[in-house]
Amino acid sequence: MQKFFSLSKIFIAITKVINLIRSIFPLLLVIALTFALALSPPDYLQGDSVRIMYVHVPSAWISLITFSTITFLSIINFIFKIKIFEIVIICAAPIGLLFTCLAIITGSLWAEPTWGTWWVWDARLTSMIVLMTFYVLIILSHKFIKPRDRSIKYSSILAIIGSINIPVIKYSVDWWNTLHQPASIKISGSSSIHSSMLMPLMLMLLILLLYSALIFLMKYKTEIIKIKKSGIKRL
Amino acid sequence: MIEKLVYMNGYGFYVWTSFGVVFLSCFIFFLKTLRKLKKYESLFVKEVTELSKQEKKSALSKSETVGEIFKSSNKTI
Repeated sequence: MQKFFSLSKIFIAITKVINLIRSIFPLLLVIALTFALALSPPDYLQGDSVRIMYVHVPSAWISLITFSTITFLSIINFIFKIKIFEIVIICAAPIGLLFTCLAIITGSLWAEPTWGTWWVWDARLTSMIVLMTFYVLIILSHKFIKPRDRSIKYSSILAIIGSINIPVIKYSVDWWNTLHQPASIKISGSSSIHSSMLMPLMLMLLILLLYSALIFLMKYKTEIIKIKKSGIKRL
Repeated sequence: MIEKLVYMNGYGFYVWTSFGVVFLSCFIFFLKTLRKLKKYESLFVKEVTELSKQEKKSALSKSETVGEIFKSSNKTI
């Protein structure tokens, strides 16, 4: 088991997956962009501005998935102190921050033609700003708090506190009167989105997930090299 | 056809800016991550190259990862 999870095995596997993603990514990107920008129909109410959904929604989903993962790993790490989870948290946080910022910016660009304003302090938008703040605090704690054990402890506490915000983001459109529309895609129950729009949305989600995986693996590889570099004399 | 794709019935600015911001940010972030990876790879390679012959041999025998990092950075020991 230990042999299976050895750093060298992980390193080889990461290199292989990175090469695989890099080989399929350009073709998938062209297909996804063609569907998102040209082949999918405009919305009967929002017209072509609905195409912003194809980058806005996957960005928001990735930001939430990443934070939920960080929280889950933080709880496990808090109890069992697993070094691999610490590296995963350090590598995932900047990706989550990137997509939170992108969800906010593209949301603002979608709000102007739809609501007539770039920004309103409504529940969904404000809770996304709170999520961004937690990501920034987690990254800053990794950067500036030393030693590493203490920084991991602080970032875990921040992630656990910040996780309270996740259901607030998800259900804010149901709990409060907001300008933001309710979810069109539901895991349980029927979605109100047409398949001609659902397909490009899923393709763009796949593209951004592959991109996130690529960045994550590159960061993970860097962390392995850092670990090996710090112990090179002991080898 | 191209005009329709560019203007998108008046929404072109918002749509193209959104896609532009997303892909430009992702590209810059990718370059930054790649540069950091390459920097640490070459620092590692440099440190191992500076080791004595015996230390290099010991590093290689004790950790397969050392060889893999060399392979990944297209260098030979």
